[in-house]
Amino acid sequence: MYGWIWQRLPGGTGARIAQMTILALGAALLLWFVVYPWASIYLPFDQSGLG
Amino acid sequence: MIRLTGLRGCVRSYLRVSGEILISLGVIVLGFMAYMYWGTAVRTGDAQHGFEAELGQQWRSGSDLAVLTNPGDLGLGRPFALMRIPRLGRSWEFAVVQGTGLPQLALGPGHVPGTALPGQLGNFAVAGHRVTAGNPFWSLPDLRAGDLVYVETIAGTYEYRIVAKPALVSADDTAMLAPVPGHPGQRARQRLITLITCDPPWTGTNRVIVTGALVATLPRGQGIEG
Repeated sequence: MYGWIWQRLPGGTGARIAQMTILALGAALLLWFVVYPWASIYLPFDQSGLG
Repeated sequence: MIRLTGLRGCVRSYLRVSGEILISLGVIVLGFMAYMYWGTAVRTGDAQHGFEAELGQQWRSGSDLAVLTNPGDLGLGRPFALMRIPRLGRSWEFAVVQGTGLPQLALGPGHVPGTALPGQLGNFAVAGHRVTAGNPFWSLPDLRAGDLVYVETIAGTYEYRIVAKPALVSADDTAMLAPVPGHPGQRARQRLITLITCDPPWTGTNRVIVTGALVATLPRGQGIEG
């Protein structure tokens, strides 16, 4: 999977590392600000609620 | 990279891809737990800042004095008291909101509707998250008999003293919320506070419950120092 992405990135090793970092950072931001807030509402963690 | 052909290559690339996917999912789940612990605190912190400013303004103007004698008037998710528990940290302070549904607990510890208000005869019950929403009651099981809990409302600061070490009950045990905890139906004789959170953390299996009794009513603004 990551090898597949790696092979399709242009440039040399340094450029590819930079691009992979940007992709990983983008995915992390998407998770933190979009996916996790959405999931935190629906997943049954810490149901301290009463009634 | 060595390119293998045939069945062995197929199996190998299948294993590699599924391994990568599983590791990625693991990292995503760890990230989610980090978000629940730290990320949700940011959201709750914003709400809490707003609440403290709002309460300060209300109390200075004295406009909502009636609210505290009539619990029915408290809107769900509305703040009405500030709570301080020195044992949980010098800076531990949360605005208590009305209601204990998940939308309310996302804002801060919530007053169980139908239970007494601060300082009243009966049981002032407050539930809060163990994890998420700033983890207000993460260390609730650390409370011990003799620890103090301050609840400040427009009418004054109520000083409660914890009477026993935290008790573990099942999640559907609501008898601890009764005016006389553990004895539903009996008439209230004392002015009590009951703090409730989840145990073990991250689950909804059990509840940790701490009960205290009112020992003093102070003018508003006192009882801050631990």
